[in-house]
Parts: sequence; structure tokens; C-alpha cells
Amino acid sequence: MLLSFASLAVGLFLLLAALLITLIQLPDKILILGLIVTVPVLLLMVAYLTYAERKIIGYIQIRIGPNRVGPRGGLQPIADAIKLMFKEIILPRTSNRFLFISAPILAMAPALAAWAVVPFAKDWVFSDINAGLLYILAMTSIGVYGVIIAGWASNSKYAFLGALRSAAQIVAYEIAMGFALVGVLMASGSLNLSAIVEAQAGKFGFFSWFWLPLFPLFVIYFISGVAETNRAPFDVAEGESEIVAGFHVEYSGMLFAVFFLAEYLNMILISALTAIMFMGGWLSPFVGTPIEVWFSWVPGVVWFFGKTAFFLFLLLWFRATFPRYRYDQIMRLGWKVFIPITIVWLLVVGVFILAELPPWFSIEGGI
Amino acid sequence: MRPENYQPVEHPASHEYELYFGPNHPGIEGNYALKLRLSGDEVLSATADGGYLHRGFEKLMEERLWIQNVALVPRICVPDPVPMEETYAHCVEMLGGLEVPERAQWIRVLMLELSRICAHIFTFGGNSATIGQYSTMFWGISERDLILDIFEEITGGRVYHMYITPGGVRRDLPDGVLERIAAVLDDIETRLPEYDDLFFDNPVFMRRSQGIGKMTPEQALAWGVTGPNLRACGLPFDLRRDDPYLVYDQLEFDIPTDTEGDIYARTLVRRSELLQSFRIVRQVLERLPSITGPIRCPLPNPLAWNIPKGSAYARTESSKGELGFYAVSDGGSKPWRVHVRGASSMHAVQVLENLCKGARLEDVAQIMFSLDACPPEVDR
Repeated sequence: MLLSFASLAVGLFLLLAALLITLIQLPDKILILGLIVTVPVLLLMVAYLTYAERKIIGYIQIRIGPNRVGPRGGLQPIADAIKLMFKEIILPRTSNRFLFISAPILAMAPALAAWAVVPFAKDWVFSDINAGLLYILAMTSIGVYGVIIAGWASNSKYAFLGALRSAAQIVAYEIAMGFALVGVLMASGSLNLSAIVEAQAGKFGFFSWFWLPLFPLFVIYFISGVAETNRAPFDVAEGESEIVAGFHVEYSGMLFAVFFLAEYLNMILISALTAIMFMGGWLSPFVGTPIEVWFSWVPGVVWFFGKTAFFLFLLLWFRATFPRYRYDQIMRLGWKVFIPITIVWLLVVGVFILAELPPWFSIEGGI
Repeated sequence: MRPENYQPVEHPASHEYELYFGPNHPGIEGNYALKLRLSGDEVLSATADGGYLHRGFEKLMEERLWIQNVALVPRICVPDPVPMEETYAHCVEMLGGLEVPERAQWIRVLMLELSRICAHIFTFGGNSATIGQYSTMFWGISERDLILDIFEEITGGRVYHMYITPGGVRRDLPDGVLERIAAVLDDIETRLPEYDDLFFDNPVFMRRSQGIGKMTPEQALAWGVTGPNLRACGLPFDLRRDDPYLVYDQLEFDIPTDTEGDIYARTLVRRSELLQSFRIVRQVLERLPSITGPIRCPLPNPLAWNIPKGSAYARTESSKGELGFYAVSDGGSKPWRVHVRGASSMHAVQVLENLCKGARLEDVAQIMFSLDACPPEVDR
């Protein structure tokens, strides 16, 4: 039952993704049109991610989840969006009004902008820039300003605590994340996301992707991604039973919804990036193997979104099963465990490259 | 140039601040408030601020007939109502000199232990939800629902049963209910290993609970701690064994203890008590069919039932600790005074205040839930 619902959610996700892709494929001159359509589709993906989350976690917790609005509750996210749009936006009297309103925008904009360099499939990317990886790092880091400003402008103790925690957490995990990406950069020899995916094509399909030689970096990157998106078990910035909702405790209506959208967009982004950096992006798991031809009819974008959906499912699964770490324990994990491991593994990757370890780093397969 | 007698003004350290934790807060059970003085994340002092759930039960009881109060007492503590009924009934029986028939005593033990299972499962749920893991809570609620079905079948009510009345129980068990109880218990017991995987052996939970909210046996005694919280400190005090009531002296059960006295120890003690309650219920199920007889001793007309002058204190072991009812009769048809000694009133006030001192802000909610403090029982 759980699996059928997970696959239902994945299917919905893929459907929307396909819609998005057909729009992106348009020629350059109507790129603007593509963008205009892409953003709402991304937001719709977020909406159905919340539905998938509620359904999957519901089934893990022996509940049904939303089942009233539309068939099997399928229109619930739409109803929620309408509700949030019509709710009053309450501005606390003691808040800084300008910052209070601009904070959600600051959180949302980078979460959307980062998608500009994400290759959905071969040549299906808005902006195929050479510094894609740096751009991604820059964009994901800017998002924290929204959180900090929200906590500061609310002028509430709970919100301020949440913002402080979020800031410290992102500093700690950004470093581990950056080092993990340096490993990818060394292995692929490029900062361009499309080139990173291309570098993973090898003779052994699934096993020639970077997740195997960079396994510790892969795990650390994904966990840091969870921490950076403030998801369970690292959701101390909005720890419900401790600081109520953290930085967005004073927000209501659409302003709150924008924070919510940013969080879910970041979830999808982190999952997509993990798929690109370590799981071969749009590559078929059988590329280079004899049975590759059996799956040659599957468009790359399906593999890409399938992998993304897998990581998204992991995020939801974490949320249902892990208790929240304490804030100081998260800091310890970030600074004392993850950063040393990544640094050590970078040296190992260097040795791999010098030794031209096949199949990943041999001349014909790797760089 | 500073004057001779210049002394720098001591400003309070700017990182100290006050945080109002509650009365409407997801990390607080019910409506209860804590005034925390914090330095960064560390709690310097905590002041309990109750009273948000004061419904005046003790005064209300003075306005009602002895028998009418049966409907009032279970409402004192929502998650664990049966011990309230039992203790009140016990108190009235002591005052009125009533003898409870044997079958009624066994049925009461059955109800009390089922209620303890419910309450402990509920506590795990609360404990896990405070650290952001809601799965244990929802799983626990679904298990509790099976027992509530049994309660509904026996008493007609799911949460407030009003089943145990002075002199016996309200009605006899329906046919076949004993087999269904056995089936439900087996069902829950087979799923306990899953709870171990998800919650009790979860490394994150261990890290969040071991060594936190620790109290020594001396402190526990000084603060008036009873129940599982006391047993988690290594003191095997249990009224079911040390001051037996009903037929507990004919039953075999162990008193699980732990030595650490921290959050994890309290949780594990409750988990072991769950197994002991299963054991007790199984013994009752075995014995009950062979015990026949009335389920209630004959009462005078309850509307004109004058209890002789005197006072009595009855105490039982509820899921939270020692629960006591002190009632005074002036010979009339209504109590002259009833006092409820809820175990939570110690746990949620002085124990919570002291354990929070030096803890971190994140631990406050967990300490409160691990003490199983029930604010409705504190305020009454």
C-alpha cells in the first residue's frame, strides 16, 4: 500500500516534470515564454510534493492522509494554496515592515534562480554556463539571508532563536557541502553541470557514476543538503516543540506560504543536484552495458526525475523515522565529523586520479 | 577623570533573556506554562506557572452527591482516568464501610491495568513527538485505539468510563470479551519490537535522552517523586506491591527499575512496565472465569445515601505515580471536603523546575514529557 502510494506520488511528479521539459525544449527566442511557464509548473511540483509528503508519511504512520478534497485528496494542495492566498497577512506591530515582507522574497528567489543551470536532460538547460557549480553554491547560500532577516525583522524571541540557529547551521554545513562538491569537481574536471553528468558516462552503467568512488562525499553531500534545507532530522531552525516554528513563527497567509514554497523548492533542488553530481543525472543506469538498447527509448529526463524522486522519497522517509537532533549535536556532527571526512576523502580522490583508477578515472572513461 | 569612589555599573549580561514557554506551546502537555530564564540556549532557571487548567474539581465535588462524583472524577486526568475512579471509589468504600465483591475486584484490576497500558503507550507517543518523530505517536495512538474499543465494549465509554462505582463495578463483562482482550494484547506485544527499532533503540533518541534530566534517588525522595519516575532512579517503590489494594497481592509481577534516573531510563522503565501490565492482565484473564458472584455490593438509595462522619485517605498506583484521594464526610449526602493528590503536581512543579535548570532549551519539552506530568492533574 505504501509502495503503491509512493509510486503514485512519483508518477504525478514525473508527469509534471515531463510537462516542464516539453516547455523547456522550446527554441531560444521563446526562452522567456518557457520561463514564464516553468515557474508555475515548478510551483505545482512543490504543491504535489506536499501532497506526496502527506500521503507517504501518512501511510508510514498508519493514517490515510488527505482524502477529502478531490479524488483521494488529490486537490488538497490546490485547496491549501487557495486558503493561504485568502488568509490575512498579519504584520506584527513591532516588526520592521520592509524587512518583514522582503524576507520571504529573499528566501524564494534564489531557490527558483538556482534552477537556471540545472540540466534536466542533454542540452535541456536554461543556461549552460561554465561556472554552474559555483552558481549553485552561491544561490543556495543566499537563501539563508531570507531566514535570518525573517527572524530578525519579526522581533520575536522564538523567531530570532530560529534564525540564529539556521545561520550557524548553514555555515557549518555549507563547508562540508562545498568540500563534497570539490570532490565532484576533481573527479569530473569541470564546473559545468552538464559536463559533470557527461563525465559519469562509462562502460558499467550504474557503477561508473560518481557515487561509488566518492561514496563518503555522496552521503555527506546529501545529509548536508538535508541540513541546509532545514528538514528533519536537522530541522532545529523550526523545531516545533522547542521554538514553535522558528524563524517563520510570526508569518501568516501568503508570506508564510512563500517560505513554505522556498523550503520545498530547495528540497527538490537538493535532490536534483544529488542526482546530477553523484547519480549520473539524466544517464540511464544501463548506459555502456549490453542491455542499454532495451532502455534507449526512455528519455533522459525520466531517469533524471526518477532519481530526483528517489532522493525526495528519502527526505520524506527521514522525516517519518528520525527524531530531531539537538542543535549542539548538529554542530558537532557538521564540524567534527563531516568536514574532516570530506577533507580526507579529497586526498583519496586525488590519489585515485593520479592512479587513473578504472573505470572512473581512467583516461577514456573519466576525465 | 573618574571619581575616587567610581564603581562600574553592573549591567545584566546581555545574553540573558526570559522566554515564556507555554501556555499554548507544542512542547508542553496540555495548557501549562514555564517561565524560562535563558543564557543563550542554556536554561538558568525555570518557574512553573500552572493554573490554566484549573476547573475546581475539589470544590465541585462538595456540591454533588457521593454517587454523582463518580462521573466527575475521571475527568481530572484525561489520559489515565481509571485510577481516578478506582481511588475515589476506594475512598468512599473506606468511609462507608463497603465490602467489594471478589469478582468486582478482579474486574477493577483488569480495567486499571488496561488503562495503564493506554497511558504508557500515550506517553511514548508524546515523548517521541517532542523530538519531532511523530511516527511513534501515531502508531501508539492506533494501539491505544484497540484498547479503547475494549473499554467501549465493557463500559460504553471510550475515554471516560464511569465504570468503577463505590461498592463494585457498574455492570458485568460482556460475553467473549476476555478472549478479545487476550487477542488485543498479543497483537500489541508482537508489534513492540517495531517500537524498539523505531524509538527505544533509535540512536538519535538515545543521544537526545541519555544523561539529560537526571535526578539522583536522594533528590527524587526530597522532591516527592513517585511512580515510574522514582523507579527510574533505582528505588523500587510501587503501591501495588508495597500497599496492596484490590487483589494485587494475589498477582505475580516484577517492579522494573533503572539506575540512571535520566529521560532514557524513565522511558525504558515505562516500556518494561508495559510488559508487566500485560503479565497482570493475562493472569486476570486466566482467573476471572472461575470467579463468580455479584459485581456490586448492595447500596442504599444513592440519592439519599448519608455516609457516616469521618475521613479516609485512599491511594493507588496510577500510571504517573501515587494517586491519593482524601475525603471528609460530615455525615451528609455530599462530601464535606475532597482533596486529590495527583502525582503530577510534584512532577510538573518542583521536579520540572529543578531538572530544567542547566538543561538546554531543546530539552525542556522532553523533560516535561518524560516526567509524564499531566497538567489537568496538577491544576485539577
